[in-house]
Amino acid sequence: MKRRVQPIDAAKASRWARRLSARVGKILAAHPDADRDNIRHTLILLEQPPFERLQRSLIRGRATAIFRK
Amino acid sequence: MAAPLPFSESELRLVQVLLKRKVRFMVVGLSAATLQGAPVVTQDVDLWFENLGEPKISRALQEVGATYVSPSINNPPMLAGKGAELFDIVIRMDGLGTFADEIKNCVDIPLGRQKLKVLSLERILASKIAANRAKDKLTIPVLRDALAATQSIKRRAKKK
Repeated sequence: MKRRVQPIDAAKASRWARRLSARVGKILAAHPDADRDNIRHTLILLEQPPFERLQRSLIRGRATAIFRK
Repeated sequence: MAAPLPFSESELRLVQVLLKRKVRFMVVGLSAATLQGAPVVTQDVDLWFENLGEPKISRALQEVGATYVSPSINNPPMLAGKGAELFDIVIRMDGLGTFADEIKNCVDIPLGRQKLKVLSLERILASKIAANRAKDKLTIPVLRDALAATQSIKRRAKKK
């Protein structure tokens, strides 16, 4: 069955990406030793509800464990 | 639409029964870190109980068809039975104070009508630094960066 893909509001998405990038830049300016990707992923996760963050982490953690076997 | 829960129905019931019976426990480890936004992966949810001998715990576990298995030479203490597989029991946290000290360093995360105590990111980082196992060394920089990001967000929110 084909899944219907929701059209993306490109302008909105690019505004979000610019905002995110600016926030990452500010944090990196205060913490120059921090890793850009860690900061970016944390900021993205903070936009999700706590239990959704945990769900993502458990799904990925279990998948990694399966691949290791 | 409500956010999806990482727990199955029976796992959720176990946590809810523990909270309903006012068992003193908190979520620790990487699952606690992910609840606070750290981009790390985990396979289980670590629970730190103040007193594993508390009768309230066994009654809560019985209510959901699970049980506590005492530690043996080869096995750490664990929960077994319906809805218990996801949860690991932690009996000590390297580099941290007592349960009573650390519960003051918890954040409350709402779960339905109740609140789940989750050890703060600062204290999780402190315990990983103290434990310093090979697997901890991999997560320490990520937790440190996540802490920097979350603190910056909190400061920004305070200013508003």
